[in-house]
Amino acid sequence: MSVSEPKGAAFQASADLRRGGGMSRETTNAIIVFGLSILLILGSRFVSPALGSWSQVLTVLMLASFLIVLSFGQGLVILVGGLDLSIPAVITLGGVLATGWAGGGGEWYVLPAILAICGLVGAFNGFGVTVLKIPPFIMTMATSIILASAALGYTSGTPRGASPAAMTALMKTTWIGIPVVVYFVVLFVLAGWLLQSRTVFGRKLYAIGANDQAARVAGVAIGPVTTQAYVVSAICAGFVGMMLVGYANGATLRMGDNYLLPSIAAVVIGGSSILGGRGSFIGTVGGAVLLTTLGTVIAAIGLEQGWRTVIEGGIIVAALFFMREEFFARLRRPKRN
Amino acid sequence: MMNWKRISRATMLCTTAAVALAGLVGSAHAEDKKFKIYLSLSYSGNAWQSEAANIVKALAATPPYDKQVELIEVISGTDPQAQISAYESMIEAGADGIVTFPISSTALNRVIKRGCEQGVKFFTYDATVTEPCAYNVSYITAGFGENSAQALVNELGGKGKIFLSRGVPGNSVDKRHTDGAMHIFKQYPGIEIAAEYYSYWDDRTTQQETAKALAAHPDVDGIWAQAGEYGAIQALQDAGTKLVPMTGENSNGLRLALANPDMQAKGLKGVSAGSPPAQSGYAFKLLMEILTGKRTLEATNIEYPLPWVPAASVKLCEGETFENGCNAFPDGKVPSSFVTEVFNPELLPELSLLSALEGKPTPGATIQPLPAEIVKAPNEPGINCQNCEPPADLYKLTKIQPTVSP
Repeated sequence: MSVSEPKGAAFQASADLRRGGGMSRETTNAIIVFGLSILLILGSRFVSPALGSWSQVLTVLMLASFLIVLSFGQGLVILVGGLDLSIPAVITLGGVLATGWAGGGGEWYVLPAILAICGLVGAFNGFGVTVLKIPPFIMTMATSIILASAALGYTSGTPRGASPAAMTALMKTTWIGIPVVVYFVVLFVLAGWLLQSRTVFGRKLYAIGANDQAARVAGVAIGPVTTQAYVVSAICAGFVGMMLVGYANGATLRMGDNYLLPSIAAVVIGGSSILGGRGSFIGTVGGAVLLTTLGTVIAAIGLEQGWRTVIEGGIIVAALFFMREEFFARLRRPKRN
Repeated sequence: MMNWKRISRATMLCTTAAVALAGLVGSAHAEDKKFKIYLSLSYSGNAWQSEAANIVKALAATPPYDKQVELIEVISGTDPQAQISAYESMIEAGADGIVTFPISSTALNRVIKRGCEQGVKFFTYDATVTEPCAYNVSYITAGFGENSAQALVNELGGKGKIFLSRGVPGNSVDKRHTDGAMHIFKQYPGIEIAAEYYSYWDDRTTQQETAKALAAHPDVDGIWAQAGEYGAIQALQDAGTKLVPMTGENSNGLRLALANPDMQAKGLKGVSAGSPPAQSGYAFKLLMEILTGKRTLEATNIEYPLPWVPAASVKLCEGETFENGCNAFPDGKVPSSFVTEVFNPELLPELSLLSALEGKPTPGATIQPLPAEIVKAPNEPGINCQNCEPPADLYKLTKIQPTVSP
């Protein structure tokens, strides 16, 4: 089989899956990133004897949980050919509202309302991108600036309140020796994978990303479906804001700042095309775990801050190079010469 | 069409009439021009920065300053260029004084010099500038790094594996703290620095970076942390094994933890010291005393005292202010990341929690005069002066004595 048409790759991949034979590119990719993560955890024993232990695995999963939830939403937006730069601001929004409205007490029922507000922000993004035809990165950046200012005004700089009890329970309790958040992430990954790969909604996203003209002809409502992707992304970001509040017992106005690039990098390292139309959530999860593992190992080496960033960037570039379509095509195609 | 002469004459008549009338009423202030003071922040968004700004806003709204001051806040972000243009605009707008957290100790010098020549008074708080015409009000020279490092060494008996949780890379304040701390740590060969990371003076970043370091070194014996230290405590708690001696700045969370018997039993010891947001209030009041003619003071570097609260000295406040020597607030009254050193019974008796959290004046408070004498800060090249010599005893210990010999 030849993969010369990138546009057809998604359908090709699903065809693979349907035939049950052969492995789709997405699956190979996911296996590779997970394999790398495991190798990295085992290999990190050479860096520090304490690494590679069960407790390090738990630390990595705990730290990766934020990125996994985030990059699911970012992944859907990238899948339809967009990009969501408002993620850091929505994280802050979710966090600040969670501490401000539900903090301290047990008013868990406020949390869904806050997620709904975050969803509205996503709808606003979708509206700008699909109806006003504003390029996604400009639209979501504008939203981000508006939200950051709103959060600064709402808190006058100092977010008040504490973590809602429900979020503290999620982030701070363990069950049979494993943090509850790890179980949550496993369920989340399962649900996310089902939504992206096994539902009509997911299929429509792939179709739009692969070729929106063709999707329109096929009867996909481009505007609403694209908007839904942005809504999911914003809800995910808002929820990560709440998770961070549970983790750090409080909100700050800069709490989302360090998550924008990793959320995109996890998606792309996981084998999704930055141009849309191709990718799998399982690959993205692998990307998120790989990035987080990398962070802990590099932290353990004890390098200067500058070198750390250089190495992280270098590894992302290398990963992207090897995850390119051509590279896979070459692997799959027997050489004929 | 427009008869300027007539208009100006009418205006003059009106003004004269108004002034005369005001004089008759007896509430005439010929000097009823408010001082135009700018509050220039670099970035906002963490508790420390907003508390420092809120203090200045609260003081400016406290009588009699509420009648004397027009305060305008400008936030310019982390880019020095943006703060330079902000200063430029303020000078053009006829500022009498600028109270500022400068983003760089050197990049702003030229515009500050130009402002001084136009008669603008520059007061920096916490962070400093090396331009000699500015007034620096800062605790930086008071030795946070060396004193807290010695306290940690004492707790560890002179040996053990430690983490350094630093601030913002490349920042002069972070460098000064770390240089002071390293001056102490280097004297003790038994102290091993297992991990060093930048936490950006932020609780959450500190927590995540400390969690990563703990994954590699679960056997850590102590943590030397700058602001954000409460995140380090939480990372230790997440790992669930033990707490260790640590130092940190002035978060309410750290002070409550130090005084908490359960945490002490798990191994938490240490000291809370570091950067007080109250510096901004002290700087603002000094500026006002100079502008209103109550004080004559040439541009100089003023040292703010280093807060120093070991576990044994933590005392909970009953009310909304620091009184009877209390220095922390009960759990639930403020967030754990709240920086408690916003108050100072001697220098800033006007302030209460309301001021620090919302920038509102304390009901019934009036501005009290500052003590007459100020403490001059020693020279520190690159921090508060250019081409100058630091004193020989730059890193001398002022708050604590070594209990273990190197």
